Amino acid sequence: MPQMGVSVAEGTITAWRKRPGDWVERDEVIVEISTDKVETEVPSPAAGRVAELVVEEGATVDVGTLLATIDTGSKPGQPHADESDPPPPAEEAEANGNGKAPPVSPVVRRIADEHSVELSAVSGTGRRGRVTKKDLLAFLEQGAAKPAERPLHIESPYKEEPAPQPATPAEAAPTGEGERLSVMRRQIGEHMVRSLHEAAHCTTIVEADMTAIEAARGRLSYLPLVARATIAALREHPRLNATLEGDRLTVHDEVHLGIAVSLGEEGLIVPVVRNAHELSHEGLGARIKDLAARARSKQLSPDEVGGATFTITNPGRYGALLATPIINQPQVAILDLEAVVKRPVVVTDGQGGDSIAIRPMTYFCMSWDHRALDGVGAAEFLGSVKRHVEGWSD
Amino acid sequence: MATTTARPAALDPHQHLAHEARLTVDDRRELMRYMLLMRATEERALNLYRQGKVPGSFYDGRGQEAVSVGSAFALSPRDRACILHRDLGAHLLRGVRPGLVLAQMMGRAGGLTGGRDGNMHFGDKDLGCVGMVSMLPDMALVACGLGLAFQMRKEPRVAMTWFGDGSTANGQWHEAMNVAGVRKLPVVFVLENNQYAYSTPNSREFVVDPIERAAAYGFHGVKVNGNDVEAVLRASAEACERARQGGGPTLIEAETMRMHGHGAHDDMSYVPPEMLEEWSQRDPIETYEARLRDAGRVDLDALREEVKAELDSETDWALAQEMPDPSTATGGVFATEDPVMGDGKAPWSRWAQEASNA
Amino acid sequence: MPEITYLEAISDGLREEMRRDESVFCMGEDIGEFGGAFKVTDGFFEEFGADRVWDTPLAENAIVGAAVGAAVEGLRPVCEMQFADFIACGFDQLVNVAGKMYYRQGLAVPMVVRLPSGGGFSGGPFHSQNPEAWFLQSPGLKVVAPSTAEDAKGLLASAIRDPNPVLYLEHKNLYRRVKGDVPEGRYETPMGELRVAREGTDLTVVSYGAMVHTALEATEDIDGASIEVLDLRTLCPLDRDGILESVRKTSKVVVLHEATRSCGVGAEVSSLIAEEAFEDLDGPVVRVTAPDVPIPFSPPLERAVLPQVDDVRKACHDLLAY
Repeated sequence: MPQMGVSVAEGTITAWRKRPGDWVERDEVIVEISTDKVETEVPSPAAGRVAELVVEEGATVDVGTLLATIDTGSKPGQPHADESDPPPPAEEAEANGNGKAPPVSPVVRRIADEHSVELSAVSGTGRRGRVTKKDLLAFLEQGAAKPAERPLHIESPYKEEPAPQPATPAEAAPTGEGERLSVMRRQIGEHMVRSLHEAAHCTTIVEADMTAIEAARGRLSYLPLVARATIAALREHPRLNATLEGDRLTVHDEVHLGIAVSLGEEGLIVPVVRNAHELSHEGLGARIKDLAARARSKQLSPDEVGGATFTITNPGRYGALLATPIINQPQVAILDLEAVVKRPVVVTDGQGGDSIAIRPMTYFCMSWDHRALDGVGAAEFLGSVKRHVEGWSD
Repeated sequence: MATTTARPAALDPHQHLAHEARLTVDDRRELMRYMLLMRATEERALNLYRQGKVPGSFYDGRGQEAVSVGSAFALSPRDRACILHRDLGAHLLRGVRPGLVLAQMMGRAGGLTGGRDGNMHFGDKDLGCVGMVSMLPDMALVACGLGLAFQMRKEPRVAMTWFGDGSTANGQWHEAMNVAGVRKLPVVFVLENNQYAYSTPNSREFVVDPIERAAAYGFHGVKVNGNDVEAVLRASAEACERARQGGGPTLIEAETMRMHGHGAHDDMSYVPPEMLEEWSQRDPIETYEARLRDAGRVDLDALREEVKAELDSETDWALAQEMPDPSTATGGVFATEDPVMGDGKAPWSRWAQEASNA
Repeated sequence: MPEITYLEAISDGLREEMRRDESVFCMGEDIGEFGGAFKVTDGFFEEFGADRVWDTPLAENAIVGAAVGAAVEGLRPVCEMQFADFIACGFDQLVNVAGKMYYRQGLAVPMVVRLPSGGGFSGGPFHSQNPEAWFLQSPGLKVVAPSTAEDAKGLLASAIRDPNPVLYLEHKNLYRRVKGDVPEGRYETPMGELRVAREGTDLTVVSYGAMVHTALEATEDIDGASIEVLDLRTLCPLDRDGILESVRKTSKVVVLHEATRSCGVGAEVSSLIAEEAFEDLDGPVVRVTAPDVPIPFSPPLERAVLPQVDDVRKACHDLLAY
């Protein structure tokens, strides 16, 4: 506590401008104090890292009392004691082969090969973000230790809320930097992260001419028609209508089609059209409309959000062309329908002559799990979807 | 308490043995036969070497036959021998077939080391012999160890070892002499002074007559004519007796000459020709043969025939032996059972007598 | 079970063997009435007599060479080099005569050479060596290095019974510093088998001799990691399977020895692991050893050369973080 005038015997800390761990330059204001004469800012006597605030705000102490300690031997830029190391940037993990990526140790390579794990999906805690043996074994254990589930019920991001939750003290009192994610957001996030960890995500894209669909849909959204085409393709390629848990693949006879429904900023939900294979496209359209409405008004029952065997997501109205969706666990694929855009394309007539035509084109983007499928299987399936779409007739 | 060193008496070919080493006619025949056998085996081996059948180097003890034959003749079956590369006679006396020696030199599987060591680096343990190493005179210390065992068990047995003049410059020789003297070990050290250590004459090897060193280490030393097989035998028999009765070690310096090079690869041009000429007049086989002819009791021609025939069949046998199987090269590094040494043959009639008297 | 020192255990083992088998005898400098430089044979002269406890002249080649001769004739000599360093003076007999005898001649040489080895007490360059690597390079010689009192007694018995030349490395610094429960009476500790001094899952420290104790102390708590410590006990023949089993479990290895670095046991074990367990490695195999210098005399210099607890801790810490 500095002497602020000859007759001043004590002072009060009004506010600390630095906390422990902060860097302070010499002469930079470190604390505000008040005496019965004056309120003043106190410049720091030295540059360094604030080690300890000995006297707390609001306390009154005699002149000469130690207020704080500064470690003058430290350097700026070192993290605070309560800050953890930032996670390694994602680019490092993906940039194999550029010489700067952390090495893959022999045991990690061997175990990854044995279990067909894509190492980019595993977070590494070793030096330079390296995936260690421990990291990999923990990752595998997660996959193996999933709770035994009845095959047709899966976890869903949606949890029925009986009443609006009162704000808990933890959520009401922000720590000061940003606000905590909602429960739904966190649950969606956890599901997505887990899906990325567990599945070997690949995305295959097929371009389709929507002329026939456009002609057929009238005032309906094209979603039910594409859904119908998709179901037909699923019957031809049953391995896409499957769930994978651990290393157990279950191919399903029935198609329970999950349709992703946006809940605006709150998040999204995936209600399920059960036995969708029994429905015509009109039936599908009606069911989807109903489910979406009830989803938005939070009237879905838990049974209606579990057990899908395939998922379609359709954010196309917003104009995006391509996407790489995340698989809805434990399914093996998810189909994303993006915007339909008129584009000039080459068409070949019956005699083999080529010409340019304006056609409504779209991209069917399917992410699929390489643990269960190969690229050929995925492409064939999409080819079938495309065929059904392009050859659509009522 | 230095003991005096004995000097050899002048040789009298007709003199009866003044000492206990009594020899029958058969003993003399045997002495001659083993010298002939040694020479014939080495000559045959040298031929094989020149024919390209002997890998590595070839060493012989031409002109020194009396040393190994005379000294080894004094050994009883239960004695032990550490034999060196110019002492083939000792191996043959203990009972090693010439064919085995030839097979050993040719690196055959049927040889005494199965091809694992070459030339004279062998010793048939079943006949009480420990094979030599290249570092000389390491075996002198091993002989001390053998003698130590006999002493500790209070057995009237002797360990005999050979080495050359050059060895006496080596620290291990001095350690051996010292240890043998300190413990009065029952060891007979046979120093073959053949005048040269490879190309190094004695004058460059030491300045003290080696036989003097026995006294320096506190035990008996005797210098003999190394080309007189019976003189060598007498000195060796006496030394063995001394050892058996707890009198400690003896150093026998047998003066001789190395008539061939250090090895077959050595033309020994560093030896003055007149020296070789002089020593060739004292060839141990020829001089002993002359004595025996004079005495007229041994059919020397038949003996030579016998030795030649033996070498012929032994050579055939050796040449028929196979080369070792390469897959066996890395095995047999560690023993799984304790050593068992056998006893050697002892052609001296004395041993037969003692055995029948026992 | 009585608790005795490492030194007493060696004495015990030797005494048991000499009582049991008349062919066992001792040879070395000052081992008779004086009881030996380190008193291992204290009381032996009185019990067994001058013949079986031989005060040899100062001649290491003679000690080893005579041992060879005695051994092939059916005795079981136990030679003592006053300091392991002096085996250099008996090197020829050991490597060329003893080591090669069985391979060449089929003649077994059952002998033991006891080598008081190691530093840490200002012994200087000629009284502090750990010369085992020379003999791991020499075919036909077995090498053991106990670290506990119990193993010291049992391994000596095994060494004496073995029909081959066995080098027995007794670390001088453990003589009175290490105590343990040692069974009474005679027992053999098998050669060629390592001992797991502490089980663990995150990292393996491979060591032997005095450094086993350093390893245990250093790895008690490193960031809460579970660290396995292996006590090799026998250096030749090496327990390859035991080492590899541990590597497969932990995938991270530190090899620690007091002997100098180049071409030592660390190099041998690292190479073994690289050849046989490459796909089980989650990090490089690290060695903590003395550098390639003669062991210096003055304490701060000696401490800087001999591996210390902190050196081991740091190496383990860094490897864990890899």
